[in-house]
Parts: sequence; C-alpha cells; structure tokens
Amino acid sequence: MSVGAVLRVPLSRARPRWRFGVAARGFAGVLILLAAWQLSVPLVGLGPYFYPAPTDVLAAFVELVRKGILPVYLADSVMRYLTGLVCGAGLGIAFGVLIGMSRKASLALSPLFKFLFAIVEVAWIPIFVVWFGYGIETIVLALIYVVFFPVLYNTLLGVRTAPQILVNAVRSLGASRLQVLRLVILPSALPGIITGLRLGAGFAFRGLVFAEMVAAKTGIGYLIFEGAQAQQTSRTIVGMIVMGLLWLAIDQFYLRPIERATIQRWGLTIDAAERT
Amino acid sequence: MAQPSAATIERAPRQAPRTTRGLDAVTLGTLPFLLILGGWALLPYAVDYPPYMLPSIGTVLDYARESVLDGSLPRDIVASLARLAIGFVIGMGLAIPLGLAIALNRYVADLFRPVLSFLQAIAGIAWVPLTIIWFGMGNGSVIFVIANTIFFSALYNTVIGVQSIPLALHRAVRSHGGRGLALLSNLILPGAMVQILLGIRTSVAYGWRALVASEMIAGSNGLGYMTMEAVQWQRTEKIILGMIVIGVLWVLMDRLVFTTIERRTVARWGLLQR
Repeated sequence: MSVGAVLRVPLSRARPRWRFGVAARGFAGVLILLAAWQLSVPLVGLGPYFYPAPTDVLAAFVELVRKGILPVYLADSVMRYLTGLVCGAGLGIAFGVLIGMSRKASLALSPLFKFLFAIVEVAWIPIFVVWFGYGIETIVLALIYVVFFPVLYNTLLGVRTAPQILVNAVRSLGASRLQVLRLVILPSALPGIITGLRLGAGFAFRGLVFAEMVAAKTGIGYLIFEGAQAQQTSRTIVGMIVMGLLWLAIDQFYLRPIERATIQRWGLTIDAAERT
Repeated sequence: MAQPSAATIERAPRQAPRTTRGLDAVTLGTLPFLLILGGWALLPYAVDYPPYMLPSIGTVLDYARESVLDGSLPRDIVASLARLAIGFVIGMGLAIPLGLAIALNRYVADLFRPVLSFLQAIAGIAWVPLTIIWFGMGNGSVIFVIANTIFFSALYNTVIGVQSIPLALHRAVRSHGGRGLALLSNLILPGAMVQILLGIRTSVAYGWRALVASEMIAGSNGLGYMTMEAVQWQRTEKIILGMIVIGVLWVLMDRLVFTTIERRTVARWGLLQR
C-alpha cells in the first residue's frame, strides 16, 4: 500500500529518467534476491522443510495448480474479501452520512464507535469463533469490522466538509432533506468515501489472511498456515507469493483506476490521506 | 490511518448548533453503552443459550479481579508491551537508514523498489507460519512480525520525510558547501525527523494489530495468546476481558504517548500535518 505508492514516485528531483535503466535496475534487484536465495540454500543446508529453495517453491506451485487446489483457494479468498468489503463499506457509508447529518446520532453513536474502534478487529476473532464457529461467517464479520471504521470516518469527514453554502442554496430552492443528501452531501463526500475504501481495502486484505489462518479450511491464508503445519514449507511460500501478487493486482487494476477516476479529478491525493 | 479523523466526530456537526432539548451529550453518548450492558444482562432471560457463549458481566468482573490478583493479567500485558517495544526498535532501526539511502540515491531506490513493493504486499502476519518454523513458537516469531510490519510503515515515512524537505533549503546548505555528513546531520536528518516522529503513531497502530494477531497464532504468552487460548477451553470471560484490555491499552498509548509526541513536535517545529 503506502510504501508502494511512495516508491513509485520518482525519488530524485528534476532529472529526466531513462525508463529502461529503471526497469533494468529493478529487475536486477529481483534477480539478486532470487539468486541469493537459491545460492544460500546449500550454505544453510537445513533441508527443504526449514529453508526451501526457489526451485522447490516453483515445483510446489505447479503441483498446487495442477491439482486444482490453488485456483479454488484463490476464488474462495477473493469471494470472502469482496463480500466483507462491500458490506463493510455499505455500513460505513450509511453510518457516516447519518452521523454527519444528524446531531443526535452523532452525540449518541460517536463514543460507542470510538470505543469499538480501539478494539482492533483481530481481537474480535476469538469471540466470533466461539459464536459462529470456524468458517465464512467469522471471516466476513471480521472483514466488515475492519472496513467499517476507515470508511465511516472518511465519509464523515467528507460530509462535514460539504460546503454549507451549497446546502443552503439547495435548501432555499425547496429541497427536502433527502434531496440535499443526494444533490450536495453525497457528491461532496465521494472523495472521502473513496479514501476510506482504499484504506479499508488494505486493512481488510491483512485481516483476510489472518482470519483465514485462524478460522478457515480453504483460502490463501489457510494455504500459508496449513503448508507450515504439514511441513510443506514450499507451499507456505507459494501462498505468501500468491498473496503478495494478489494484493499488487488489486492495487494496480482496481484501486488505482478508481483513485485516478475520482480523487485525482478533485485534486485530492491519497498520500495526504494515508499519512494522517 | 483513520484515527485522527476520529477527532472530527467531536467537532460540532455541520448544521448550526442547536440545543438538543432535554438530552445532553453525556446522556446521549452513554445511552448505547447502557443499552448494550442492559441487553447483555437481560439476554439470558430472553434467549436460551449455553453460558459459555456469553458469560454474565459478573463473571467477567470476577475473572478480571482474579487475574489481576494472581498476577497473570499484568504479566501478559508486560509481555505484550515488551515485544511491541523490541519489534519497534528493530523495525525503526532498519527502516531509517534504508529509507535515507532510498530517498537520497536513485540507484538504490531503483534496485530496491520492486523487491520492497512486493515484500510489503505480503502482510506481516502472513510470515507467522514461516517464522514458527524458523524461530519456534514465542518471542522470536512475534517480534519478527512486529518488526516487519513497523519496518515498512517507518520506511514510508522516512522516504516521505526526506522528500518533503524544501528544495530551497537543500540548495542553501549545498551552496554553503555543505555535503556528505554535514548535509546529512544538518539538513536531511532533522528535516526528515518530523515526519518520522509523526509516522510513529501509524507504525505502532499497525504493529499493535500485528502483535495481537501473531500472539494468537505463535505466542506462548501475552494478550493475544490469552484470548485465543481461551477459545479452546471455552473461557469466554477471558476472551472478553482480553478484548477490553486490548482496547483500553490502545487508547492509553494513543493518548499518553502519541498525542504527546505529536504535540511536542508540532509545537516545536511549527509543523501542522493536516
């Protein structure tokens, strides 16, 4: 998430960069890492259980794909992730608008949400396990919980910063409360909502992997956990790599286009929001 | 992070202030808590469920007293906080030099960029199964995950910190012949330090989650271990107490440590982040 964003920014000032050189150096960095890993295996000499080589990992990857395990796990993980993200974001937006527009709701709900926000989602997982058992309910609930707060607070920020003059203008033209919401509040809260979604998406991805380790029998998190339990460490590493690639893909093909289409148009950058 | 925006909630709503007849802020604010506590107390009369699913408030309070008296709760708290501190020192210690190198030298930046972006995408907690193999259950695994998590957050803040130093200052120091170590100690380090300090809050927020999560899987004591272990024995009062302690500790850290750091740095350097 954040480091990727920074590292993509040109780092030294003002000099035109030779793109090919950049790519080549980046590629060299990856190659050096892989070579160091492969070459250090005989030096460490502790066997593939403790320290598998890249070739072992590649073999495990091919095996997992051929047996059809990896595609199924990947689909399960993505499904859970999307369900949690959509539900959590929906609730976050709804409560954000409610708290932003109603003084009573704000007074009544703010202390409660602050209290709940302090109890991080991972701390809820044990009690979800007691209540709902090991399975999709626990995972999706944990994800909803993670996504809810960043979306809520950023929606709220968006609602609160909606220009009062526009609200007054629409009202004086006879708009109802609902029309004010639709015509002024929601459009001006949109950048905030997108920022919240982006933060929530990042937190939820970490939450997903953890919840799957603890409370699932399929999925990428389970693959990572189970590989190590079954002493198939190369499977664990396949899981970690797939997870990393999955996040980079979500970031690249899903979050960045949304961000470009919305936030950058309004002149808000994500970095300012992420840094706060 | 969304934390600071929590403050917006306290600000007056966007409508003109109106007096809410009969109900003041305190009453309204405590109402949901009372409803939850009341519901918790009355639920056993309304619905039939095994007591382990949701122990009574009394049971939780009894367990709280008991665990404080026999010293197990304080021990878990100290163990968790100590790990957080060690992981924090390691993570920051590695991230700041590398962050400076990345921000100051584009060859270093180009070389590390893809590798770091990828490693960062592998969330800290995903390392736990591997670290269990490498370091066994307990301190080693948990500290690795915390340090890993804090490392990436601190790296980001260091790079941003150096980049946010105004170019004019850079030129001023250089034109007075400042280079190498003098440049580093007079401009780069103090310039980046504000952002690094302000970033600590976010770093520790991530680290705190990583701590609780990794203790649940790989811990041998500590708050995360305490709550997850209780699941097996259906000691739900232990889980609830653990959750409350995790929440209260975070609020205390946030209020006492990070707000102080923020106030000090913001006041001293006259820098407003938001």
